[in-house]
Amino acid sequence: MLVLSRRINESIVIDGKIIINILRVEGEVVKVGVTAPKEIHVLRKEVYDEIHSNNVQAVGSSRSALERLLNGKKSALQPGKRELEVSFSAAQAPK
Amino acid sequence: MLTIEQNRVEERVDPLFTESAIDLRVPCGVLGFEHTKDFKLHAFPDIQPFLWLEAQGAGDLCFLVVPPQYVVESYSIELSDEDVAFLGLEGYEDAVVLNIATFHPDNSITVNLKGPIVYNRRSLVGRQVVPRNAATLSIKHPIGN
Repeated sequence: MLVLSRRINESIVIDGKIIINILRVEGEVVKVGVTAPKEIHVLRKEVYDEIHSNNVQAVGSSRSALERLLNGKKSALQPGKRELEVSFSAAQAPK
Repeated sequence: MLTIEQNRVEERVDPLFTESAIDLRVPCGVLGFEHTKDFKLHAFPDIQPFLWLEAQGAGDLCFLVVPPQYVVESYSIELSDEDVAFLGLEGYEDAVVLNIATFHPDNSITVNLKGPIVYNRRSLVGRQVVPRNAATLSIKHPIGN
C-alpha cells in the first residue's frame, strides 16, 4: 500500500482523473473530498462491502430459485410467494 | 438530487411484465461484478412479480429482481446528481427501479432496498445505485413470513 502524508487542502491525483482532497481534520475524523468522473462509483467501503456481499449471496441462489419458481414447486417457496401474491392483488385492488 | 417515489400502486398494469426481454447496458456493472456490463431483463409470466436479470456472456451472473411496489407500500430513493447525470434522467418518470431478491437456504426471501438497480427507460442504461438516503433503507427486507 502506498502511504502519503498530506496537509489540509492538499490533494492526491489518481490516474489523472480522480482527485482526493483533504478538507478538514477534526479529532479522529478526516473530511475528504473526492472529485471523479461520473462513471466512477465512489462509495464508503462498508456500504460497498455490504451491497457486494448481498449481491454475491443473491447470485448464488438465483438460478435454483428461478427453476423452483418456473416449476411451481411451491412447497419450497410458498410462504414468501403467497405473501407476495397477496400484496400484488391488494395493490391491484384500487383500480 | 432526484427523488424517486414508488408508491403509485393504482397504476399497476406494469409494462415491465409485458415486454418479454429488454437489453440493458450497465456500464459500471453491479457492485462486486464490475466487469460485466450487458444484461438482459426477462419477464417470465410464471415468476411474476419477479423478473430475471441475466448477464450476457457471463453465464452464472444472474439475479431475480422485483419492482419495489410489490415489496413495500411506499419506497422513496434520493439519487445523487452524479447518478442522475450518469443515467441521463430528466425526471422520475424516466427511471425504472428494481430490487435484487435473495432466496435463502431456509426458503425465506429478502429484498435489497438499499442498493437498487435503476435504469433509464428511454436509453436502457442502468446502474446499481446507493441512494443518498441509503442509511434508512434495509439491505435484507424480508418478504413473506
